[in-house]
Amino acid sequence: MQFEVLATCHTTRARASRMKLAHGVTPLPTFMPVATQAAIKGLTPQQVEGLGVTLILNNTYHLNLRPGIKVLLEAGGAHKFQGWNHNLLTVCDSGGFQLVSLNKFTTITEEGALFSSPFTGEPTMLTPEESISIQHAIGADIIMQLDDVVSSLTVGPRVGDAMRRSIRWLDRCIAFHEKSGKSDIQNLFAIVQGGLDSVLRDECLNEMTKRHDQVAGYAIGGLSGGEEKDIFWRMIGQCTEKLPTDKPRYSMGIGFAEDLLVCVALGVDMADCVFPTRTARFGVALTFNGPLNLKLAKHAKDAKPIDSTCPCPTCSDGVSRATLHHIATHETVAAHAITLHNLAFQAQVMGQARDSIMGGTFPKYLRRFFADYFGNAGYPEWCVNALQSVGVDLLEGNPHAKVVKGDGVKWEYSDAA
Amino acid sequence: MSLNHHLSALRFHIQSTPATFSPRLGTVTLCRLAEDISIDLQTPGLITSTSRGVVPHLSSDHVRVSDAVRWIHVPFESFLELSPPLPTLHPGPYPSHACLGLRPNRHVLTMSLRDPADDRDMPPNGNDFVSALCLRGVRKVTPNEWRDYTLSAQPDVLVALSDVPLTSGPHSQKRITKSIERSASWLANLLRPLPGRHVSAGAASHLLNVLVHMAGGIAPKARQAFSRSLLEPLFDKEAEAIRPLNNLDQGVAGYTFDLAPLRKSLSPDAPRPAPTGGLGAGIDPFSVPPAPSVTAQIISLIRTSLEPLPATKPRVVHSAGSPHEILALIRDIGIDLFDAHWAQRAADVGVALDFVFPAPADISGPAPREIGHNFYDERYSHDFSPFADALRSCTADQLDERPPCTCMACAPSRPSEPLKHSRVDEAPPLHAPVPYTRAYVHHLLHTHEMSAHTLLALHNLAVLDTFFAGVRRVLSERPAALSQEIRQFEQTYDGKLGVLAEAKKAWTEVNLARGKGRLAREREREKQRQRQDTLGTAVELN
Repeated sequence: MQFEVLATCHTTRARASRMKLAHGVTPLPTFMPVATQAAIKGLTPQQVEGLGVTLILNNTYHLNLRPGIKVLLEAGGAHKFQGWNHNLLTVCDSGGFQLVSLNKFTTITEEGALFSSPFTGEPTMLTPEESISIQHAIGADIIMQLDDVVSSLTVGPRVGDAMRRSIRWLDRCIAFHEKSGKSDIQNLFAIVQGGLDSVLRDECLNEMTKRHDQVAGYAIGGLSGGEEKDIFWRMIGQCTEKLPTDKPRYSMGIGFAEDLLVCVALGVDMADCVFPTRTARFGVALTFNGPLNLKLAKHAKDAKPIDSTCPCPTCSDGVSRATLHHIATHETVAAHAITLHNLAFQAQVMGQARDSIMGGTFPKYLRRFFADYFGNAGYPEWCVNALQSVGVDLLEGNPHAKVVKGDGVKWEYSDAA
Repeated sequence: MSLNHHLSALRFHIQSTPATFSPRLGTVTLCRLAEDISIDLQTPGLITSTSRGVVPHLSSDHVRVSDAVRWIHVPFESFLELSPPLPTLHPGPYPSHACLGLRPNRHVLTMSLRDPADDRDMPPNGNDFVSALCLRGVRKVTPNEWRDYTLSAQPDVLVALSDVPLTSGPHSQKRITKSIERSASWLANLLRPLPGRHVSAGAASHLLNVLVHMAGGIAPKARQAFSRSLLEPLFDKEAEAIRPLNNLDQGVAGYTFDLAPLRKSLSPDAPRPAPTGGLGAGIDPFSVPPAPSVTAQIISLIRTSLEPLPATKPRVVHSAGSPHEILALIRDIGIDLFDAHWAQRAADVGVALDFVFPAPADISGPAPREIGHNFYDERYSHDFSPFADALRSCTADQLDERPPCTCMACAPSRPSEPLKHSRVDEAPPLHAPVPYTRAYVHHLLHTHEMSAHTLLALHNLAVLDTFFAGVRRVLSERPAALSQEIRQFEQTYDGKLGVLAEAKKAWTEVNLARGKGRLAREREREKQRQRQDTLGTAVELN
């Protein structure tokens, strides 16, 4: 991997960089759409490429079950299997919350994660070495260590144990990966754990940054699992402050536009989430003025496209909100059309972040984005605080703006007509 | 009422002057008089079917790049959920094209009130209304409403209201007589001159391109009577209403035949799936493939209708069930346009079509072969070849003599210019296109990924389009050989369509199994199957 920071924001910790991997260049910061089972739901790889997306995610756990490693090896890797010629990242088996949410029988031992195979019911051990070996077969450009992830709502000694085990597993992943001879093509990322405890996070950061020369980048894991937003941003901020500046940072499971921009301001380079694609399937289109729930009757007669300035195929073909209302959740085409739009929206949010970081206007972009997005509904207090911590006052010039407590997520409800 | 109706004239040119019933080669031309655009489509050819106004699984960008999708049929009934209906809402010219993401310079749009493939039992029609179906229930649509809707929605071609009885049969003679009387009078209503428009001598007397569905059901006498009623000169008030037309047929641009209701009447005992939503279900075409005997009866009925009518107008068939049936209808009648409904339904259940016309001479493997592949089948899990054997993909040798499959699955083309979102975005490296594989679609089907159906729909429409191109080539280069080539096709490809029934079953299984705990359910089923196998019995899952 070649990683080069092109520009750093003069106020915040945001940076614009160029990440060159075996399948091309991905400019950062970027949002990575999720193709859990080797397909962005409803889209062809050509469509995804056409949106200007250069890096997507696959899930190791799912690909290992279906189609299975044998098929992937025969195909010549996951890129060839799914017809995706650009960069690919595989989240590891327990990355995010797969092992937490998919399988209630999982037990973690020092050796690895022990779970009952969904095929045979037999107890099956997934070791750090195996997880890397599977990711080698998949052939992703960026691979993730196996970590011991606990729900971000867990408290007690389990959190510290999991964090320390993740460090030991990282060492085993590094050893296996280096021995494989694949470390020049595939890039291993460490995952910082430690729950919501800043002392544990620090301990993990200290240990993992010691492995600086053996990993290609760092992910921040164990967040975005229902914790309070005020704690979430502090954890991200704590991590980005300590992580080395010459490696990409990846915040796992972040997808709301406001979360993305706060993370970027705190120094995050990459993020992934199923949110934009999943919400599209339920008829919700994302815009710079907030989400539109196209299922609502108020859109039934609206001949405007979702966003007349949007370059996505759905908007540039003039597909109207009324038409999308007519087909949303009835025809797969609605999911395809809104997914195209939502991915283009995410890419624009991040593209404009890159441009404004390059141009030295990132704080201005933040203020404009939040004013457009939350102006009438009220700024989420945690965003105001998070950005204040890196020197941006969202309320500048607008001291009487409404500020709301809680997560402040914007949503279009039926009574909001 | 819209007065800025955009004028489009539908013309049909038949090469050679055929007898009433012979296969024919033609060109349908839609001229957009205001813009000097004309869209030429060769016949015999295909019409793409839609559901709720959109081509299933194809977003607007896919519709735009699909060469097979040029003529699109839109049933209007789903739009009755909203008042006024969606296609009448869009401002500007070609509101229906605009609202459905279609391009007036590329796409011909036909509209009928009802979905011609829907043969489910329906409440009766009345003297002055047709019962149509939308998500909110049954809606009554009067001939005047239909005329107003289509004048606002401005499809290029519209199908006159027709009284097709879909109450459970058999239908009395009285009912059939009513049916043909109503259909003729509703057509007359549609052919009234447009309001606010002077009909000058010599100019097109009416400005709508109207297709008429040939009424009469399975009663030959009734079909004959209906056709004759189109040709009878009208008098007095009736003549005044449609002036300057002398008879109804003069105002008709072509004839349509919906096979689904005919098939339903001809096969009263065909098994039907359980009723849904309070309506009796229609025949499932995949469990009851079109039998040659039924096709023969249908051919005879259609011929009865067409016999007295001019042979110069296009003939459209909706819901033919197989390439075999299509070939018979071309050979024995000279049908010009067929909807692709069955091929699109095949994509819904995981089948990639794989046949060409003329059938290849060198057949390897057992004959007859299936017309496609059920990609649910385990045998495809390690199969990295392109979808079709009978057609070549974009990576095949240029000397390969098989016709090319130009669909986005077999010859994926790069997006012309990927979007750029910042000044530091770099153009991605170029890669030669590689066709999608059977193994990938097998995987997508079993993981319930929607992209599978997108790729299959693009492919199946292209295969059918190539099939029609093959028919046209034979008709143009060696018309005398058509019958022989059709016999060869029938021997090569199995007309029982077993692959569709098999795929439908697999589709249902995956659909039922999906959701949390799915792998466990599949394991349980596998066990059960093994148990049953040892007992020598197999229970059909539906």
